[in-house]
Amino acid sequence: MPQDMPPTGGYAQVQYKRNIPARGFKPFYYMVGMHMIMAYGFYKYFHGVREQRGPNYHKTLTNVSLCLVNLLAEEDRDQVRRYYADKAREKELLGTEHKVYHSDRFVRPTFAYTPSKVTQ
Amino acid sequence: MAQRDPQFNQHVLVDTTPMPDHIPKVEEVGATSAYLTSAAYFIGDRCKAFNDDFMKCKDEGKGRGEIECLKEGRKVTRCAASVIKDINTHCLDQFKAHADCLENNNHYLFECRKAEMSLNTCIFDKLGLKKTIPGAPENQVPVHLRPKQKYAQYPGPQY
Repeated sequence: MPQDMPPTGGYAQVQYKRNIPARGFKPFYYMVGMHMIMAYGFYKYFHGVREQRGPNYHKTLTNVSLCLVNLLAEEDRDQVRRYYADKAREKELLGTEHKVYHSDRFVRPTFAYTPSKVTQ
Repeated sequence: MAQRDPQFNQHVLVDTTPMPDHIPKVEEVGATSAYLTSAAYFIGDRCKAFNDDFMKCKDEGKGRGEIECLKEGRKVTRCAASVIKDINTHCLDQFKAHADCLENNNHYLFECRKAEMSLNTCIFDKLGLKKTIPGAPENQVPVHLRPKQKYAQYPGPQY
């Protein structure tokens, strides 16, 4: 019995290669482009942050160095008024004055005085 | 329900005892935050000496500054009130415009450079007070004199 043999002249060439041309640029150029975009972004970010955190950004400066002093004086006056009122009340109720803290410093009271009758 | 009048009782929870007589009275400034923010640099310009004096007194008060620096505090308040009064007499329209702009823009000064510019020129002409940002670098244009503001909603020049 005759065996299967290759055809005369051999088999035809099997096409396994794809001859499609590579699309776009070389990968190196994409890399360069990405870094340029990132550099631009960091450049803008740098300037934005410098404006926001730098000495020129003066939202906090407005409050702290200029106006807060005035508000602080007002607040202190109110605290002192309450302090003297508390002392007078204590004198009236207990007849004596005693220090709560072992210190001469002004301490903001933890508990506030409220009238006994809250609603009318 | 909507017609019902609101009933507050916070006022009875506040200690309303007046200041004792041995402490001189002073009228508070009484301006709201937008007006204070708007006038802050002019208050700082005129009252710098009083403010520094007050802060120094509090710093050296060793924790009793609240009680011992009342005199300096009154000076600070009187000076701030005088600035507000002067601005009200001379530049009321610009002052109102700037404060309204601040109210509408979350108190961001960078959104209101146009109104601020007219207020600044008015105050400089009439009162001679100048806005300077303390601690700003010398070699740059100060941020309030730049027409373009980076963080403003409108990025172009505001005036």
